Amino acid sequence: MAIAVLRFPGTNNEQDIIRVLKGIQGADPYLVPSRQGPTALQEADGVVIPGGFSYGDYLRAGAVASVGDIMEGVKELIDEGKPVLGICNGFQVLAESGHLPGALLTNESARFICKWVYLKVSEHTNRFTQGLENAIIRVPIAHAEGNYFCSNDILDKLVSENQIAFRYCDKEGNISDENNPNGSIMNIAGIVNEQQNVMGMMPHPERASRIAIGSRDGILILENFVRETVC
Amino acid sequence: MLTQTELDHAAKVLGRKPNETELAMLDVLWSEHCSYKSSKRWFHLFKTKGDRVYLGIGEGAGLVDIGDGILLGVAMESHNHPSQVDPYNGAATGVGGIIRDVISQGCKAVGLMNCLHFGHPGKPKNAHLLDHVVRGISDYGNSVGIPMVGGDLSFDDSYEGNCLVNVICIGMVRPGKVVRSSAKTPGDHLVIFGSTTGRDGIAGVSFASETFSDQEEENRGAVQIGDPLAKKVLIDVLSELVEKGLLEGLQDLGGGGLTSCAGEMASNGGTGVTIEVDRVPLREVGMTPWEIIVSESQERMLGVVSPENINEVLEILAKSEAPHAVIGHVTDDHLYTVLEAGEVRARLPVDLLVEGFPVPERVEGVIPVQKQSLEWLKDHYEFDALILDMLGSLNICDRSWVYSQYDQHVQINTVVDIGENAGVLEFPFNKRIAFSSDCNSQWCLLDPQQGTANSAAECLRNIVSMGARPILLADCLNFGNPERPDSYAQYVESVRGLGRFSNDFDIPVVAGNVSLYNEAETEGKIRRVNPTPQIMLAGIFEPGYSPIRRNLCTPWANLLLVGDTLPELNGTEFQRMTTGKIEGIPPVYRPKREKSIMNAMLEAHKFGLVRSCNNLGRGGIAIALMKMVMHSDYGFKVDLDYVPGSTSRDVEVLFSETSARYIAEVTESNQQQFMQIMEKHETSAVEIGLTVNDSVADFGDFEIDMREATEVFQNGLRQYME
Repeated sequence: MAIAVLRFPGTNNEQDIIRVLKGIQGADPYLVPSRQGPTALQEADGVVIPGGFSYGDYLRAGAVASVGDIMEGVKELIDEGKPVLGICNGFQVLAESGHLPGALLTNESARFICKWVYLKVSEHTNRFTQGLENAIIRVPIAHAEGNYFCSNDILDKLVSENQIAFRYCDKEGNISDENNPNGSIMNIAGIVNEQQNVMGMMPHPERASRIAIGSRDGILILENFVRETVC
Repeated sequence: MLTQTELDHAAKVLGRKPNETELAMLDVLWSEHCSYKSSKRWFHLFKTKGDRVYLGIGEGAGLVDIGDGILLGVAMESHNHPSQVDPYNGAATGVGGIIRDVISQGCKAVGLMNCLHFGHPGKPKNAHLLDHVVRGISDYGNSVGIPMVGGDLSFDDSYEGNCLVNVICIGMVRPGKVVRSSAKTPGDHLVIFGSTTGRDGIAGVSFASETFSDQEEENRGAVQIGDPLAKKVLIDVLSELVEKGLLEGLQDLGGGGLTSCAGEMASNGGTGVTIEVDRVPLREVGMTPWEIIVSESQERMLGVVSPENINEVLEILAKSEAPHAVIGHVTDDHLYTVLEAGEVRARLPVDLLVEGFPVPERVEGVIPVQKQSLEWLKDHYEFDALILDMLGSLNICDRSWVYSQYDQHVQINTVVDIGENAGVLEFPFNKRIAFSSDCNSQWCLLDPQQGTANSAAECLRNIVSMGARPILLADCLNFGNPERPDSYAQYVESVRGLGRFSNDFDIPVVAGNVSLYNEAETEGKIRRVNPTPQIMLAGIFEPGYSPIRRNLCTPWANLLLVGDTLPELNGTEFQRMTTGKIEGIPPVYRPKREKSIMNAMLEAHKFGLVRSCNNLGRGGIAIALMKMVMHSDYGFKVDLDYVPGSTSRDVEVLFSETSARYIAEVTESNQQQFMQIMEKHETSAVEIGLTVNDSVADFGDFEIDMREATEVFQNGLRQYME
């Protein structure tokens, strides 16, 4: 199905996403530079907002991109129930634009951090994590602002509505401060919206898409996403 | 600054005194940085040709054929002086500049490396410099979406006051898409694009060609400011221009700005150029012609475009919204002409401007002779405590504080992350290439020739231990003031060492850079950096071969020590740790042994006999074994009573840094075949122990506590930076 991969000025993971999606049966990814505006999304069955540094991360990561015209098109697709996946900077854009609750603050270390992490997938799966209940998956992170934060009310709701998709953990699946790379509240690495059709995650599933590059755990998430664009 | 001899020479050739603009142009192009006037005369010692070499030294990037129509591009450069003055911007623009070198050749940039040398981080100023340099590289490299694949980091007091920041960019291109940096056809248009021109980086190259003084603050205006967002836009628009084949020639604007860029392209093409400075898009008002013509503002490119293609090029550039303009054209008069509102502001023969300098006389002094003596050795050492100290020492400890700040995975081709012996990237058609960079400046200080050759050999072992065969070499030669005979002697000897290595191993030097004047004058005293010939090697794996890591990976396998161990403790990390000094004859470069052992190891790799492997470098056998065990689920038990070679004491066995040695993990069933291969290549190999199913480091006479080892290793650098 037609999957729009957005590129804001400064986005730099769009070719990676397209390359991986092309390897998944049924996916027909196409690049949408943000200047093309909402009309470029009319045919889309799903959207990926990839990682990078949209607008150079000026102001706040994702802040400038979140108010771009193209986001009106994204909103329409979300309202129609189509799946939208934000990875890294894409998660930041979705949080800034209010499609996902909470905010991504500067890492606790105040530094960019790139490393392989383990994620515990929630036992309550969503459209993006089907078949992965309680799984421990290995994917890399690479961000300076991935410290997920939200109010207690929102947090309670995320828990009660099963909106937490991934939490940072160790190899055995233990979730503790030691395995929290950036200071995220409750080790949260990824969440979905209430309707469960928008997911944001800081780790990069596309960077865990072949054994040769260290893991193919991430491709399972992208495969789920592609399947959902068909529904 | 131009010397009196140079001024006289210019006046004589011109038949008149050069004007202000011409002087500024000559000043930058005749600077050591642009002209290589002290260094170039020795480049003939390098091996530069080879079957795989598509484009050698001389343009933005060297291009090497890795088969199936794929060329690997490599460029390497220093950004030392700017990084010392303004560490964040200096380092960031170093990365920006090296990326431009590679993409201006038509390449897609696919990897970055950086090699850093600093004073002790226990001093706040040094820690501050390192912190900001790493942030500069991180912010810039991460933003433009090019993975970091490796590098080097060392600490020595000689770098205090003059840190070294060397950067490498790796690219990839198909032969049909290669763009040359030359302006061949008179009448072609010169198009500047990417960014505007301002007053930042004015005469940066001249400032980089002088010794630091206490007044370094004054030079801040000579440091350029980077803009990674503009660079990303530039990368995208350039790839479109290259893909459509619309450029006749291209060069980035780096050191020396428009003067160097257009001048070199005219020189390469055997033509002339005319630049109309009033057409250059500016970001500041009131800039004079000479400021415009020498500005080193970042993120700019100069393209040579034929009249047929000019409209299409301008359309593409307009769509990208990047600043751009046609600023001149190629001529047949062999002159570099600068016009402002139609008036000639400068007119210099290209031959004079580019390489027309009077070759300066340089005197090669004498390198002090070192002694072989090991009299400084004590009778007794506490080996366990010593090994723990070494694991935490700055030149051995964990570097993840640095590299975890770099994006290593973007572009999804990274097979081996930083932290192993070499980083590995995957190229099309399952080609895998290993990249490693090394320089042991302590060895080079004691014996620049041997030290350089042996640093290169160490780098080679990094590549070979993973199973790859070296195919190319790039270098960045960082030395002191060439006008001082003792400093110049270090440079010349080092080039001889690199020349020897490249010829001995038949590895072509395809890219490089020389950075001289790396000295700081503080309180009237000159402090010169250790001779630092930073070497980078790339190696190719057999198709489908999975790179071998250094972590022990099977229990109950045998550990084999390959190569002879000699009592070589002078110039080593052990000597520095225990005496606080570096003296004596450093470990000797042994090309014949190194080569036969390389071939033996590569054959063993080829037959899949090696499970894990480490080469022996800083800290000798003791540290090599520790690095194999610290991140492994398994451990080792070894007995070092019999080690081939000529050592007579345990301390020599453990810490000697003799070259041409590896430790390989080989399972029992493969050992016979492994030994046969070693024998065939006349290489000594001996079983020194085995791997076990617990996390232990058992040296026979003593054991190292793993928890303690990991902790000191991880905190070695971190303790100063957090």
